[in-house]
Amino acid sequence: MEQNSVIHIDQLSKVYTVNEREAGLIAAMRSLVKRKTRDVKAVDAISFTVSEGEIVGFLGPNGAGKTTTLKMLSGLLHPTDGSASVLGYRPWERSRDYLRRMTLVMGQRNQLLWDIPVIDTFELNRAVYRIPEAEYRLAVEELTELLELASLLQRPTRNLSLGERMKCEIAAALLHRPSVLFLDEPTIGLDVTMQRRIRRFITEYNQRTGATVLLTSHYMADVEALCKRVIVIHHGKLLYDGELTGLADRIAPFKTVEVKLQNGLGGRPLAQYGELVAETEGRVTLRIPKVDTASVTGRLLAELDVADLTVQDPPIEDVIEHVFSQSPSPLGDPDPQQAQSV
Amino acid sequence: MFYLRLFATYLRIGILGELEYRANFWISLVQSALDLSVALGGLAVVFSHTDTLGGWRQEELLALVGVYFLIGGLIRTIIRPSMTKFMEDVRQGTLDFTLTKPADSQILVSIQTVEIWRLVDVLIALPVLSIALLRLGARLGLVDTAVFAVTLLCGGLIIYSFWLMLSTCAFWFVKVENIQVIFMSMWQAGRWPVSIYPAWLRAVLTFLVPVAFATTVPASAVSGRITGATLVGTVALAAAMLLVSRWFWRVGIRFYSGASA
Repeated sequence: MEQNSVIHIDQLSKVYTVNEREAGLIAAMRSLVKRKTRDVKAVDAISFTVSEGEIVGFLGPNGAGKTTTLKMLSGLLHPTDGSASVLGYRPWERSRDYLRRMTLVMGQRNQLLWDIPVIDTFELNRAVYRIPEAEYRLAVEELTELLELASLLQRPTRNLSLGERMKCEIAAALLHRPSVLFLDEPTIGLDVTMQRRIRRFITEYNQRTGATVLLTSHYMADVEALCKRVIVIHHGKLLYDGELTGLADRIAPFKTVEVKLQNGLGGRPLAQYGELVAETEGRVTLRIPKVDTASVTGRLLAELDVADLTVQDPPIEDVIEHVFSQSPSPLGDPDPQQAQSV
Repeated sequence: MFYLRLFATYLRIGILGELEYRANFWISLVQSALDLSVALGGLAVVFSHTDTLGGWRQEELLALVGVYFLIGGLIRTIIRPSMTKFMEDVRQGTLDFTLTKPADSQILVSIQTVEIWRLVDVLIALPVLSIALLRLGARLGLVDTAVFAVTLLCGGLIIYSFWLMLSTCAFWFVKVENIQVIFMSMWQAGRWPVSIYPAWLRAVLTFLVPVAFATTVPASAVSGRITGATLVGTVALAAAMLLVSRWFWRVGIRFYSGASA
């Protein structure tokens, strides 16, 4: 274990028993009496450690087990197996001291009360968390400034736009100055400007308070802007844990080569050099296995009238998509060393 | 103390929330007035034919109506809306926010929604109860008043615990709103002393759905017909139900978090 590790989980697993039902009315009636059940492994022996002040991106497709893991870490779910410690507490014991030091934000769910002004939900959280008056005022002031809430606080939640509501949700979840943040899709459904605002805020909050952040998102821009380190899970298993920049190297062993030809394409079959990704007015993008990059580039330059040529790492979206389209695991079991270091 | 302050906050929020929908106030007022007229009209009809009903005299039944409105008002103001919100939270997954708060989840859930206009029932109950008590006044001593207060409190706690247990079932069955409707219709029967009902219904109202303890028992305390055994039984039942419902709540939470699954 590292020094200053805030989140430490070891072989954490969660198995759900789900009800199974065939389609149709008769099957539905039968299931009223007797239910068929099936076990689903939502999280399968995951281990990782997060240090104080880190912002870690937690990636995976829908149903990979991200939310289940976050729920176990925030004390809502008991694991089936394995152990976890956050700030030295076992989350699912839900000790008040622990709950006072963490927060959970779910982009898809609201804790703000619908009919009353936002500031009154804040007041409610102040009462629940027993925040002293002076600290509370300071927190509201600071969050108002960082998230630009001044014009929103007096309005009832139902009159706010999705983005405005999300900003207020985040503020409500941070009034008690938690030192661990679990953010489940905090930017979902927001426009680009609002996403950027929230991203900037998370960075600011992290820098000001030194809080540890574990965040899931479907938007790679979020992850690229916020997280040096990512943890990728798929089908409940840990696929990758390490630097975001290493992700491409490790799980997408190919490069993108963009070529512009002197005299247009002229119907030359470029597919022989690599997988054709895009083609626009004499500009061609190829995907080439990493080991072949040098030789293919050499052949391209020798055999064609190349006006311009660039070699790039593939965009992170493509890498992720590449991983998740191959199931169950393109890597086999994750390298335990890789999973534990960083 | 902490939970009292918390309750005060919820009360404030309740007032704020309801002020957004002022029409609700007038509807509640009309509804409560209608309910009261029906109750009093019923009494008037009965006593135009007879002097006692199941051994109860007019002012004793008036006290019963008062108790019925008082407890019913508290149910409608706090317990029913809070429990409805709780079931909604289970279905929508927003219960997670309650469970990650550093406070007792059962108490949070039980006081989280206050429908302030429903206090109209309580406001109506007070004068009705006062009139009944004044008319019974000559025979009402200090001890009787204390016993009345105790039975009223116990009745309230019994109903609360019962309702909490019904709602806790939402952890397993998710949709159990219908139970509330059944309960409210059983509650209507509490407007009359349970002694007027046939034996089987009396048993149901006493033991299955403990309406009798919240209405008939306190009302019999003011009319001096309560026995020591009933009093002790009521207090014991209130304590037992409070404990059992708390235990059941914990089991529900454990099930919800998958600890016992």
